[in-house]
Formats: sequence, structure tokens, C-alpha cells
Amino acid sequence: MAEFITGNQAVVRGALRAGCNYIAGYPITPASSILNDMIRAFADGRGIAVQVEDEIAAMGQCVAAAMCGARPMTATSGPGLSLLSENIGFAQMVEAPVVIVDCQRMGPATGGATTTGEGDVLFARHVTAGGYPLPVLAATDAVSAYRLTYNAFQIAEELRTPVIVLLSKDISSTRQTVDLENVRLLPARQRRPAPPDRPFRPYEVGELAEVPAFAPVGGPQRVRVTGSIHDACGLLTTDRREIARKLAHLNAKIAAAAERLEDVDLDLDPHAQVLVVSYGLPDGAVRDAVDELRAAGIRVSRLTLYSLWPVPQRAIRAAAEGVRHVLVPELNIGLYADVVRQVLPGVHIESLTRYDGGLIAPRTIRERVCNLLNGCNGPGGQAA
Amino acid sequence: MSMVTATRQEMMYCPGCSHAAVLEQLGAGLDRLGLPPEQVCLVSDIGCIGTADRYFACHTFHGLHGRSVTYAEAIKRCRPDLLVLVLIGDGGCGIGTAHLVHTARRGVGVKVFVCNNFNFGMTGGQHSPTTPAGGVTATTPTGAGDRPLDVCQLVIASGGAFVARCSAFDRNLPEMIDATLRAPGFALLDIWELCTAYYMPTNKLNPPKLVEMSRELGMPFGILKNEPARTDGRTAAALDADTGPAVARPGSPPTPLSTDRPRFDVRSGLRWPQRVEIALAGSAGERIRSAAGVIGEILVAAGLQVAQLDDYPITVRKGFSLSNLIVARQPIRYTGLRTPELVIIQSEDGLRRFGSLAELPPQTLVIVNDELTWESTPARVQPVTLAPLIRQVERANVALALLAHGLIQCGWITAEALRNLADATLKGRFREANLRAIEAGVTLESSPAARS
Repeated sequence: MAEFITGNQAVVRGALRAGCNYIAGYPITPASSILNDMIRAFADGRGIAVQVEDEIAAMGQCVAAAMCGARPMTATSGPGLSLLSENIGFAQMVEAPVVIVDCQRMGPATGGATTTGEGDVLFARHVTAGGYPLPVLAATDAVSAYRLTYNAFQIAEELRTPVIVLLSKDISSTRQTVDLENVRLLPARQRRPAPPDRPFRPYEVGELAEVPAFAPVGGPQRVRVTGSIHDACGLLTTDRREIARKLAHLNAKIAAAAERLEDVDLDLDPHAQVLVVSYGLPDGAVRDAVDELRAAGIRVSRLTLYSLWPVPQRAIRAAAEGVRHVLVPELNIGLYADVVRQVLPGVHIESLTRYDGGLIAPRTIRERVCNLLNGCNGPGGQAA
Repeated sequence: MSMVTATRQEMMYCPGCSHAAVLEQLGAGLDRLGLPPEQVCLVSDIGCIGTADRYFACHTFHGLHGRSVTYAEAIKRCRPDLLVLVLIGDGGCGIGTAHLVHTARRGVGVKVFVCNNFNFGMTGGQHSPTTPAGGVTATTPTGAGDRPLDVCQLVIASGGAFVARCSAFDRNLPEMIDATLRAPGFALLDIWELCTAYYMPTNKLNPPKLVEMSRELGMPFGILKNEPARTDGRTAAALDADTGPAVARPGSPPTPLSTDRPRFDVRSGLRWPQRVEIALAGSAGERIRSAAGVIGEILVAAGLQVAQLDDYPITVRKGFSLSNLIVARQPIRYTGLRTPELVIIQSEDGLRRFGSLAELPPQTLVIVNDELTWESTPARVQPVTLAPLIRQVERANVALALLAHGLIQCGWITAEALRNLADATLKGRFREANLRAIEAGVTLESSPAARS
């Protein structure tokens, strides 16, 4: 059934569908409407919603709620993500599943509160001290905002990790026709429950990549949660073997899932010389531009990335097979183009950037593709 | 089984440090309460006292510096049936001041024990927010110059239900602990301690001097506030109680929001082209974005694809307000404007933000407030006098009237189809006003559009 909703409304729908039952948040443009709508949705008691004093408290509450067994979410924008940072690290260390929605806006600092920008794509991955990985997804429109929010909850549950979903102002507040009933979603996941018949060791794992079993704080099995480096019992440790094992585990559980987490849409022309790799808001323009270029007889491929971290290396390499140029349009200074460069050494990576709050138009993409091919008699002269 | 599993001597604290003694007393207090360990959660953060979690047999939650109150609040909200205690140092009360204030203000029933030894012991004896004026520390070598924070007054002012202060050497420490554990609502006990590694030796502090210091600083010992839990607020009632509604547990079936909305087939009278782009430009308060949204909803119900991208400054009641509306038969991917076929300029703010009309092509229709001055353009321009419209539908509905008028003028939809769709689609408290605005737009007499 067709509806006319914003990207933020789509996030709320995805979260509720996924069973989100705790939101702690602090108002910030352009994310605020997510908190507003969740508070309304939880008014019937199906979840807990708290507007807190700052984003530090928001993330703190989310981590604690997760360890009580809830499925928490918080939503913010770049300046708020800065404050979420320390407790995102805490969530990593205690292996708390939390979904964080970052409705990006122009930065740095206050930047442009009602102005679009997608400059948090590296920050999201490196948001916290220590350098340990966390999955980052990026919506391109309202439908993908719905899908990725829902999926983020499943990934968070399965891997017991914070997951960041990126939108940007012109996805968050733009209304679009959507049909959410026919969206393909990940299978529903839940944390693996701890066996009830023996003393609970909160961080015991077999294989390094294994995700520890879960028992909630407040349940019949006593639970120890700590942000300090800890052993299998959740007690602070100075034993180097225990330390190395825990930290290798934090890395391994994400790394082992990397290929499964790849979420892309490939529109391949096996004879293409140019591949356009897109994510986020420019993706719509890229799709239009690719259709228009093909109509003019120009061979071009498109790869849309819905998962940015772990880097979908396999998909990027496969899509770039045989191409001479890869064009990466971005609403920032060219941040992800550098990531693509590392995945594709030897391939010319062309960065197309805009960061004044405007959109990248299909025409700009067409022109850049034509330039890469030393000119083409395509529809480059058309408006937009 | 005792709640505290280590003896004073076994704990990792410096000889003479008050923390071990206080923990022993807290454990005894918990034992007197007689709750099973599964019904208690101890939350701690950073600093020497933060490491105490390992000595407790209950659920323990050890987090980041000064954030223990945020964790405790969420645990209490998720599990109102648990006794949730916080162990925090004087440093934590500084970096986490906001959390103390706001969790107390929200009346969440956590029990906070401040182990206050007037300095940062773990990092080498720096001054803390509670270091008294004159206190010599690693970062105040000539004596602290600032006023010490009165944690109790802060929490009283923030609405804490129970607030008390004592020293670790008070004979009535067990009674104070008992009272704090049993107090309903947000409770805090500020326990003055000795840090034998740093603050005590450099400041020649001892137990009797703690009492003296309390008098000098005007921070008395004793129960400073003891009120019944708030029951005034709607949320406070649930949170003050130590039992209350539990959070929906994971696995409980999510209830999707209702998607029960009418759906219409494309009616005759809808002659919509493959794709059209509309720009509405006006000022804050003119309900530009609402107008685009109303027409968007109507056209989505008619089976069309719509994208509405807005542009406005952060001050929603002042300045420009723009809405781009794209309506197509195929899914819309690029949501920016290429070439608008219909441009509606309602105000000077809107005209300025929209930019030049000179680049619009001849087929574009520009409906413009005739009080404005616009530059020459190849587009068809239809000036409209707003005054009669404002009298007819009020200023806030003019944008919707102009937009409805534009749709008819462009020939994309007939007046009858627009009326029918609007009547069948619009809901809510603005339904009547919106229907009137659309009717006004549909019937608006227009002078033929002219090239300017």
C-alpha cells in the first residue's frame, strides 16, 4: 500500500516493526521527529521513551536498557553523535545491541542544522576510542531507511554490537511515496539465551568470533557488566591472554560477519568502462544519470552501497571487474572515495563532491562520466 | 550469603581508605534488607570506588566516568522491581552533574551513594568539585580557590526525595545507609571519607576534622530531606514506586503502526504526465510545506509517486520556506528539481530563496503574488492578487489554494477529480480548512498568463 512518509517516519516504522521497545534521545535537527514519534508510539506502554539531558545520557540509557534485555534505539545528528561517542565504546566493550540513527547534517560543529550533508561516513566507523569495528549502514531514501533500521536491529541482536544507520537531512525530512509491505527484510534475530542450568559466564565464547550468550541484568542468573577489560566472568582482568582474547573477539565477530553484512545493489553492464559507486542521498541522482547515459548508448555500471562498514570489499571488487574508472559521488569532501581507493588499487577512482547543502544533480554525474570517457555525445546538454 | 563477598582486608584499597569500611557497611545494610541478590543491581563507574562491583554478589554494572546514574535510570525504568544502587565518587558527581540533576528531577527511584573523599584518588590526587577552598591537591598546590560543590543541596534543588550526609566514621552510618536504601524515589547519601594516599596526608585531615569541616562549610551531617515519593506527575508516579510497569520484553510481538488508510484508483480526470516538478516558495508561517504535503498525500492516494523536499532555515516562524514537489508515474529517485513546470511565488522571502526566474523555460507557469517585483522571464507568468483569497480562506491557507489553482491551470488534473480526491483522502483537524482552500484555488478566476 502506497504511503507518503518522510525518511524519519520510515525509521520509526522500521524500529517498531523490529520490536524496538526503548528510546532515549535528545532533540536535534533533523532527527527530532524520530524521538517525537517514538514517544507517541510508546504512549500505550509497549515501550519506554525518555527525553534525556544530553546524548551522553541517551546512549548510557540505551546500553543499560539493552543489557536488561530491551531493544533500544537513539536518534541524533552529527553534533549528538559526538556526545554519544564514549558510550558507543562502552556498548562495544560490554557487547550491547543498540541501534543508533544518525540523521546527518552539514558539519563540522553546528554547521547547517537544516542543511544536508553526509560527512559522518568515516566518523561513524571511527566514532569511539580503540578502533574496534561496528557496522554502519547508509540509507538512500525513505524505503531503505525503513529496511536498514529494521535490519540494524537484527544485526545488533545477532552480533551484540552497536549499529549505526545513516540518513541525511534530505532523506530524514523529505516525504516520498513508499510501499513498506513489500520490502525484503532480514530474518528476525534474537540474542542467544544463556543456558539456565549452570552459572552464567557473561563473556564466555568458544570460537573467537562467537557471540556470547545473553542473560539480562535483573534476571534469575546474576550478570556482571563492565566497561573495563574483562575475563569471561565479566571481571576486570590484567591477564594478557584474557585481554588479547577479548579484544580479538570484538574484532573477529564483526570481521567474520563482514561478507554476510554486505548490503549492496549492483546494476552491472559487463562491458562498462565506468562504474559509479554511490551511497546515501546522491544515489537517486546516480540511478537517473545511469539510465540517461545508457539511453545515449554509454556503457556504465552502478553499485549502490547500503552497508558502508565493514567495507563491502567483495561486492566492490566484483563490480569493478574490468572497469577503468570508478566515480564516487559524495556529499562530503570525498571521504569514502579514499576507502574505495584502498579496495581497488590500480583503478582510477574519481571523487565527485558537493558540500554546500545542495544535491548532486544527474547532469553533473553524466558530465563527469563523459569526461572520464574523454567526451561522449550523450544527453549532457540537458538541464539538471 | 552476604551481599559483599570480600573482607576489608581483601579489598584492593589503600590501607586506611574509607571505601572498604563503607562497602562493608553497605553490604551489611543490604543484608539487613534481605533481598535476594538477583533483585539487586549495583551500578558503578570510574574512580577507586568504581572498582567495587567485583565485591558484590548481586547484578553489577560498571560503566564510564560519571555516567552510572544514566545506566541506573535505564535499569530502573526497565526493571522497576529491582533495587538499583549507584556507587559514585566526588569526581563522578562533577563530570556527571547533569545526570544527577536530571535523574533526580525525573524522580527515578535509584539509590545513590557518593563516596566523597574530596579528590581524584585514582589519577593521582587532583582536586575534585568537592575539594574545600584551601585544599591542597596535585592541581591546587597552593590550595583550592573555588567553592566546593554541595552535592546534597544540588540534589535537593533538583527534586531528590531523600538526601542525607554523614561521614564514614559516624556511628550512625548503618542507620543512614538503611534509610537511603529504604527511601522511596530518588535517594542520595553523601558520605565523607578519607583518602589516605593523597588528600588526608597533604591536608592533615582526620575523622574529627571532617566534622569540623562540615560546620565550617555549612554542609551539615544528617538527613537533609526526606519526603514521600512524588505522586503528582503522571510519569513520576510510575517511576517513584519501586515496582511499576515493566518494559515490554524482547520477543513480545511488535505492533506495527496502523497502515489502514484509503487507497484510490487513478480516477478519470487525472491526466498526470510522466513527471512534473513544482516549486512553492514563500515565507515561514504561510504553510508552504503543509500545502505541498496535502497535495502530495492526495496524489499518492491517486496512485502517483510523489517526493517532497523542503528547504527552510532553523527558525521555523521566520524567513523563507520552500517546498519542491515532484509527482511522477514512475518511482522518483533524484528528489532535486531539474526544471519546474509550475512555480508558485507567494512572498519576497520565497522569491529571493528561489533565485532567478530568468532561466525558466517558456513552458513553465509561474504563479506570483502581484505585489512582488520580479525580473523578466521567458516563462508564462500569472500574477495573482492575494487579498481576496486571504479574505476567503485566511492567509495560512493561501499556499494550498494557489497550488490547487496551479495544478488545474497546468491541466494535470480536472477540478472535479481534485475535489473528489481531496474529499476522499483528507483527514484530521485541518480537513475542512484544506478542502475550502482547494475549492478556492479551483474556482480562482485567473487572468490569462502572460509573458513578462
